[in-house]
Amino acid sequence: MQLIEGLNALSAGLILLTAFGMVATRQVQGVMRFFIVQSAFLAASALLIGVGRGSIHLLALGVITVLAKVIAIPWVLRRMLPSDLYERREINQAINIPTSLLLALLLAIAAEFFLSPAVATSTDPIVRVNLPIGLAGILIGAYTLIARREAIPQLIGILAMENGAFFAGIAVAPDLPLIAELAIAIDVILIAVVIGVLTRNITQTIGSSDVSLMSELREEPRPWR
Amino acid sequence: MAIMVVVSLPLFAALLCWIKPLRKISWGITVVCLTASFALSIAIAAQVLWYGRVIAIPGWFEVDGLSVLVILLVSWVCTLAAIFAGGYMRHGSQQTELRWWFYCNYNLLAFALIIVPAFASPNLVWVGMELITLFAILLVGFESTPSALEAAWKYAILTLMGAPISLFGFFVLYWAYRTSGGGTIETWQGLSAMASTMSPNLLKLSFLMVFVGFGAKAGLAPMHVWLPDAHSQAPSPVCAVLSGVKTTVPLYAILRFLSIILASPEARIGNWMVVAGLFSVGIAAFLLLQVRDYKRMFAYSTVEHMGIILTAAGFATHAGASGAVMQMLNHSITKSLCFYTAGMVLLLLETRQIKEVRGLFRLSPFVASALLICSLAIAGAPPFPIFLSEFSILSAGLRSGHNVAVIVLAILIVIAFVAIFLQVNSMLFGKPDPAATVGKVPWSCRTAVVIAALPVVVLGVYVPGPVQALLTLAAQQLGGH
Amino acid sequence: MIRTVVYNIIQLLFVIGLAPLYAGALSRLKEIIQSRRGPSVFQPYRDLWKLFHKDEVISSETTWIFRITPYLVFVTPLFVTILIPVLTAYPLAFGFMGDMLAGGFFLGLGGFFAALAAVDTGNPYGPMGASRTRMVGFLVEPVFMIVFFTVSFVAHSTIPYIVQQKWVASPAAFFSPSHVLLLIAFLMIILAEGGKIPVDNPSGHFELAMIDESKGLEYSGRGAALMKWGGEMKIMVLTCIFLNVLFAPWGLASDQQFLHVLLAIPLIFIKILFFTVLLVIIESSLAKLRLFRISEFLGAAFIISVAAMIASIFSVA
Repeated sequence: MQLIEGLNALSAGLILLTAFGMVATRQVQGVMRFFIVQSAFLAASALLIGVGRGSIHLLALGVITVLAKVIAIPWVLRRMLPSDLYERREINQAINIPTSLLLALLLAIAAEFFLSPAVATSTDPIVRVNLPIGLAGILIGAYTLIARREAIPQLIGILAMENGAFFAGIAVAPDLPLIAELAIAIDVILIAVVIGVLTRNITQTIGSSDVSLMSELREEPRPWR
Repeated sequence: MAIMVVVSLPLFAALLCWIKPLRKISWGITVVCLTASFALSIAIAAQVLWYGRVIAIPGWFEVDGLSVLVILLVSWVCTLAAIFAGGYMRHGSQQTELRWWFYCNYNLLAFALIIVPAFASPNLVWVGMELITLFAILLVGFESTPSALEAAWKYAILTLMGAPISLFGFFVLYWAYRTSGGGTIETWQGLSAMASTMSPNLLKLSFLMVFVGFGAKAGLAPMHVWLPDAHSQAPSPVCAVLSGVKTTVPLYAILRFLSIILASPEARIGNWMVVAGLFSVGIAAFLLLQVRDYKRMFAYSTVEHMGIILTAAGFATHAGASGAVMQMLNHSITKSLCFYTAGMVLLLLETRQIKEVRGLFRLSPFVASALLICSLAIAGAPPFPIFLSEFSILSAGLRSGHNVAVIVLAILIVIAFVAIFLQVNSMLFGKPDPAATVGKVPWSCRTAVVIAALPVVVLGVYVPGPVQALLTLAAQQLGGH
Repeated sequence: MIRTVVYNIIQLLFVIGLAPLYAGALSRLKEIIQSRRGPSVFQPYRDLWKLFHKDEVISSETTWIFRITPYLVFVTPLFVTILIPVLTAYPLAFGFMGDMLAGGFFLGLGGFFAALAAVDTGNPYGPMGASRTRMVGFLVEPVFMIVFFTVSFVAHSTIPYIVQQKWVASPAAFFSPSHVLLLIAFLMIILAEGGKIPVDNPSGHFELAMIDESKGLEYSGRGAALMKWGGEMKIMVLTCIFLNVLFAPWGLASDQQFLHVLLAIPLIFIKILFFTVLLVIIESSLAKLRLFRISEFLGAAFIISVAAMIASIFSVA
């Protein structure tokens, strides 16, 4: 059991690292790859905790995560969107990378502080590790979303936030009914599909996937048609 | 049993709309199925009034007073909006070949909206809420113009950002529930029963997360920035559904959660909710002063009313709860009427700007009187129902001792009233622009508006017995002392 | 007592003697991965022998700094060798003479004088490379410090021997997030300080792009040999710190028997060869970063080390 806790802590550290990586990388492909690696570590963690606690729900969740986030979503996104969106080497960002990394670090520290009263209610080491790093993953994913101006990194930011939420969930809610977990997994795929469709429409309409170019809706809107 | 039928009717309609040969009559299918849904939901409401609670599948689908109220509102607004959409989409929409897709999507949205109040487990509520968001995104971006896509993108990102945050909150809630000894099936009812034994830190943490996540969907400030864009760019029947019920359903979930927290003696959230609600009302009131697009005006008014409902629930008393529930009912029926009217103005004059709309009384008395009625109603003037519910909220606040909050709320409501009325005034009176082209308002739109106006006019003066009983039952679910 | 002094001397000889072999193995392996044949692993020894037998040519414009630097660059890694566990798991005779901060300062001393000497010659490429080396150096310093602080915080000591014992005691501590993040941060330091890709190209001879190689540009004969050897020893010392203190302290002799210490020599070297494989994989799969991106790379290393520190504070406290 101690080995499982140790390996779980290892994947927690690596999940945090991939979250930083998503903030630090400049390429769209890079963000996608970090997301795939992060999902793989999440699945590994779910399988580990499932074995450690004897919970079949978590084993199933690990398998579902691998199928959905590591295989299905990247494949679907690749197929749906034109490939020149992926070859962008320089994503437009609002803040430069070293400052972004510092902000991401501050978010991780903030997550840890914020959760300390909640974490104090439990003595389980898995909960103590997973809960703060899950929230840190959520916050850093949200930051990725805000700081990037391209469509695909924003979508991956949302999915990375889901990874963070799940990572916290597998520690504190290991025996959530399977249907709920299945539904959640399907939901994630649907999100990817819908956003993919939307991105395709946007790219076709405005000619680029830089979503900060769409900024007409303010208090002086254009007339209809 | 009836619950399952009500829930599956829109899904069935969506499937029918998909089938190729039936695509031409997709509007008819939608209207028929949704009307049947509405009739069935009235039957369920009667059952709930009789038994107090209806259980279709224990642990999965359970309906009590508050849920059935929301289901009624959802099916009412969706049905009327579908009727309205018939004429609107035919005359006002650019995409003629994709109309079946619009109705298919619309039915899926109705399905998701109906199923959320019927769910008994918070985690399934989360799943349902995400489904609502997804279908709504597709509908908002339906017109595929750059501004519609921009609105859809902003909406998508901001509301989907709330999804993992609220999921985290629900996981923590489940954790608190299990560590204080709950069973494996977690339902709203089970949660309220155990509320006093769950750790207050965890409850507060999960409520905060769920508030941020679902508050973004409900349009509470400061997460409301997507709301004016989405609600002005979507086709008007969709706007009616969005403003009327789609912001109410997340608020319903937040209020359920709030009632659980208020049952726990140590976590004191009520006052924070009052502050948060007043913040929304304040931002909306001040933004209403500078709005230039009448659909955005109605959207800001939605933000304001969501804030008022939250404030009322924050008072944590029976009177506050009944005020909140009544406001929910009145807002849904009035706001959908407002958007039908806005849709008609759009069909008439093809512009969204307030300053380009003048002299409506001379152009079309029907539309102008509808606009007058609905803007007076939404701003809270007597003899319309929102005046009644706002008044009861203010008196509930005074009775529970939140005097400062009540004064601030009253001032903000007055500011919003003035703002709305000034804008609408300039639209209604005066001489119309001679160079403006005037479109037609189809009969289905007029029918929908007349039917929708009926409860708005009636409920302001007379609340029928069953409706009052339903409201009381719903208010009991919200708790308070 | 005498025994530990002897072991200390053996440790010094180990580093002096096997550093060129490490460098040779690294370049041979890199060439093999890139589908070339590469020079023999003993080539650095031959280079050093050749250089020692050549005449030295020293510019008349230089001062004593230029003359003294090769000796300093050769000797400072040796001082560090005395302080860290290279062959043995227990502290040797001079093991308490300084802690890890002292080790860091010694390495910094060598680099400082190398930079000064490069400026001393008046050659235009010298100061260019020296300024770049200093830029990398000052960006690496905070990371070094934070790594040391974190490690000392967990182990409650700054002496490398004690750190090594405490840090890898249990699997839980080994796999803890702070440990993993520290390893990655320190690996990035090794890449930066040792002048490897992605920070610098060690096999390039283009003076305008040199960072670390530029320190040895003006030297010839014995000076060049000492600078080269000193550079190779610095990388070996950093590797030993990484492997023996932080990552994989296996194979070290745990008692004072002479045979065990001798046995440790090939074991440690095999461990170093495994690390060589990792280094070669990193070097062959990445591209050299543009100069201003180096600050981002080292900024990322800083963030990772601070995250490690925070993780260790929160899980210990």
